[in-house]
Amino acid sequence: MLEFQQVVKYYGVGDGEPVHAVDGVSLSLNKGELLALYGPSGSGKTTLLLIAAALLTPDSGSVIVNGRDLSSLSEKEASSYRLQEIGLVRQSFNLLAGASTIDNAALKLFGTGASKTAAHRRVAPLLQRLGLEGRLDHRGRQLSMGERQRVMIARALSTEPSLVLADEPTGSLDSERGREVLGLLCELCRERELTVLLVTHDAQAAKFADRVCALRDGRLVEYEPDLTLAATDAR
Amino acid sequence: MKLSNILRLYRDRLRVGLVAELLAVAGIAVGVALLFASHVASTSLDRSVAQLARGIAGNMQFQLDARSPEGFDQRLLGEVQHITGVQAALPVVERQASMTGPSGSVSIDLLGADPRFARAGGPLLKRFSHLQPANNSSHSQLTSQPSIALPAPIAQSVGAGPLQPVTLQVNGHQTQTLVGTTLSEADIGGLVHSLIALAPVSYVQRLSGMTGRLSRIFLAVKPGRERAVHAALQRLTGDGVNIRGADFDATLFSQAAGPANQSTELFAAISALVGILLALNAMLLTVPRRRGYVFDLRLDGYSRSQVVRVLLFDALVLWLISSVVGLGLGEMLSVKLFRPEAGYLSFGFPISSQRIVTWQSVALGGAVALLASGTGVFAPLREIFAPFKLESGEVQGLGGRLRTVALAGGLVCLALTTAVLLFAPRSAIVGIASLSAALLLLLPVLFDASVSAFNYLRRPFRGISPYLAVIELRDRSNYARSLAIAATGAIAVFGSVAIQGARSDLKQGLDAAVRDIDTTGQVWVTAAGAFNTFATTPFTSTALPRLDRLPGVARVSVYRGSFLNWGERRLWVLAPPSSVSSPIPASQLTSGDLATASARVRQGGWAVLSQALAAEHGLHLGSSFTLPSPRAQRMRVAGLITNLGWPPGALILNADEYARAWESSNPSAYQIQPRQGHAPASVSSEVRQALGENSGFRVETASQREHRHYASTRQALARLTEIETLVLIAATLAMTTAMGTVIWQRRAQLADMQAEGFRRGVLWRALLCESAVLLGTGCSIGALFGLYGQLLLNHALVTVTGFPVVQSVGVQVALSSFALVTAVAVLVIAIPGYLAARVHPAISFQD
Repeated sequence: MLEFQQVVKYYGVGDGEPVHAVDGVSLSLNKGELLALYGPSGSGKTTLLLIAAALLTPDSGSVIVNGRDLSSLSEKEASSYRLQEIGLVRQSFNLLAGASTIDNAALKLFGTGASKTAAHRRVAPLLQRLGLEGRLDHRGRQLSMGERQRVMIARALSTEPSLVLADEPTGSLDSERGREVLGLLCELCRERELTVLLVTHDAQAAKFADRVCALRDGRLVEYEPDLTLAATDAR
Repeated sequence: MKLSNILRLYRDRLRVGLVAELLAVAGIAVGVALLFASHVASTSLDRSVAQLARGIAGNMQFQLDARSPEGFDQRLLGEVQHITGVQAALPVVERQASMTGPSGSVSIDLLGADPRFARAGGPLLKRFSHLQPANNSSHSQLTSQPSIALPAPIAQSVGAGPLQPVTLQVNGHQTQTLVGTTLSEADIGGLVHSLIALAPVSYVQRLSGMTGRLSRIFLAVKPGRERAVHAALQRLTGDGVNIRGADFDATLFSQAAGPANQSTELFAAISALVGILLALNAMLLTVPRRRGYVFDLRLDGYSRSQVVRVLLFDALVLWLISSVVGLGLGEMLSVKLFRPEAGYLSFGFPISSQRIVTWQSVALGGAVALLASGTGVFAPLREIFAPFKLESGEVQGLGGRLRTVALAGGLVCLALTTAVLLFAPRSAIVGIASLSAALLLLLPVLFDASVSAFNYLRRPFRGISPYLAVIELRDRSNYARSLAIAATGAIAVFGSVAIQGARSDLKQGLDAAVRDIDTTGQVWVTAAGAFNTFATTPFTSTALPRLDRLPGVARVSVYRGSFLNWGERRLWVLAPPSSVSSPIPASQLTSGDLATASARVRQGGWAVLSQALAAEHGLHLGSSFTLPSPRAQRMRVAGLITNLGWPPGALILNADEYARAWESSNPSAYQIQPRQGHAPASVSSEVRQALGENSGFRVETASQREHRHYASTRQALARLTEIETLVLIAATLAMTTAMGTVIWQRRAQLADMQAEGFRRGVLWRALLCESAVLLGTGCSIGALFGLYGQLLLNHALVTVTGFPVVQSVGVQVALSSFALVTAVAVLVIAIPGYLAARVHPAISFQD
């Protein structure tokens, strides 16, 4: 479903040596699989996610989604891919302050040309499932952090994408709220058999995944769950 | 907290927010500049006339003022000097003239004073007196040989220095004279900019054909004897001469300049409002950053009073820099663009083109800068005094209660405007102020309604861009900024439409008046000089028989006219020949029957006069009144007219009647009827040839005269156009800068949207849509209120000053102002919008 083939991405830093953000990563996700990409800050996991979202182009290697090489996409096709084929869930949840909860959730559908009624009909059950049925007309600033993230999940899933890319989705939430939200996201994705790439530096979050891969200095390394969890618990 | 610490904090803050702070300075400075320049322009004219009056009369208390341009008998001086209590009497002869030197011509007020008495007068005449013994050559020039003294700038403008010849055209005569001496600013101060020439009384009398006649006598009276002297003067002069305060010219001018000053004041007020809004826009851009800064300071443990001190320092620096820059910019605008233009008022008053900057103008500019700086800097006060919260607060929209109060306030202001329109048109300025307030108070409701209407209209279309625009326009956290931007456009377009509409109606009315007056004669012969545009300068009638004999001339008629002081008004008196079929400009008659009134004026004993003048004296059709002419004349009102474009008013009687009332048969113009088959243009050349090249007369056809009058009308209204254009440009710049910055600050959100899959084009169109709706709403509301403003101003012009106004609804003006400002602003915003929409979506992610 999603396949990284020897992906390399480096950033130039002034006149010095380029920094390899992603260094020869090969990884594949099957349909309906939830893979957690675990790694500390600066390990290159978000860069990998941006490449999967066609927001960055790899310097070498390729990313195949549903048999299509993302590097062959034009700018217009890349936008259309992001709008219709993937769902993005991020750490920061920038809802449109002037829009209601239901309109914020339906934003991507409006972008696909759906009418207001059709878009609302599509997202209403999702919002209900996410426990926001009583908050449909509330504006962004009237919602709690957890609720805002749930709206973002509804938006990500609104276009029925085949792939969900989640970048530190619980980063702005306390651990209890984070677990709750992540649980909901994973549940919904599993119900819909969606492929999920979950990027996180939170070892607890990785527990929700079918499979966990670790990234360090741009390279895939062996994931050691017991060690990591022990360190987290001790803190 | 030490000042050095405050300074350090300020420096650190400036490093990260220099651009926003510079924007704020620029915004406030432009506002201050607009206000300062328009205020200086409006005060300069009034003060220049008062200054000249003081320069001549000094501390003298009374003046005997001739009712006729041909003055009164000089023997009156001797009689006045013998009145008990009179300390000094200063004789003055005054005539308007045109002076030509090697490099140009200028219209001047030729003042004849007697150096023997000049010491008793004001600074101008005292200096004239000092010059005699101080400079032997000047003395000899001024006493033994005919010569004049000129302020240095005038001498420079015509290219004539001391002892060099210039040509004077006075009363249709052309004479060569010498510049005896020039007067510098060190000699006569600000009066150096006055358009005057000084010469001994006897010389001016000779030049102007007023031998044995005086225009005025200024009197200094012993303390406590004022009433007795006034009574003695009345007994002595009877009704033939006006007895006035020595500075009465300033009162007359103030009355005449009222409408012009009101329009300038109106623009000054609108400029001030635009300036304040401009400054507010600029400041609102810095508010989020300042809010965050206050939050950080509180987080670091700074006390409230320390935070206030830090902000106070911010405000002080901002105020100081923006005031200095604004006043400097205003000074430049005032010199280059908002020149004090005497225009048509110079036909009846000696006005200088001097700019007079008063402390009030400077203080006004400083106060607006203080208000704007304070508003912006202290906007986050709520954060300072509210209990500390971990999350920095957001700007909220208007609460429901505040909205209701604003709506109610707006409706009350609108009602007040309507009351002014219907019952107190004299208070047009109050009406415009309340209309502006209504606009600002109703703007939130109208803005929301407009966004809802746009939302309704966009629904049938599937495009996401208009939808995104609606979402942003409804965002309450941007509400204050959106309203400030819309209000700037609204006020600028409002002012522009109201004034431009009223000006266009006035111009049409004035053109119609000019056409009717000028076509009473097919060829006109008048004394040369720009000051004589209204044909108000009498000349000795020696050329008539010569002109009558010319082959192309069928008939030469005598036209008479002058200015006459009646109460506090300097009236324009028109006396067309009895032979003219329509002595009254048909388009200007506001009351009475044209045929009857014309017949009565031709018959004599009847006059038509401006309705404002009639109202002031309680006169109606058929009423009798005594005309305060040199020989008081009993007359009746044949009809009422507009003021023919001369603000104090006009009066029309027939030329024979004028000769009797003014005790002079001198004409002010010859009106020539060409013989059949002879074109006015060829007759005009024939007349010019007969009079000779250096005759001192202007010969022109009715059509040439009409075009010259149109030009002077345009010149009179030109300053309004300049100010209006500048206000519109400033408002457009303010809106585009504010909107552009708002868009630029939204790049992170645009990156988010791109990451979600929205294309750049979609986002750019959304930004354009949002800008168009926001600016279009502001400008269209402004245009709508502007039409009401036009109605208000027209009503005031007609009912209060009696200007000839063609009533219309300036829909075209409103539409063009709205479309122009909106289109230009949106086009300019398209650039930052395009660049902002091209932000890389990856910036919305953090690794």
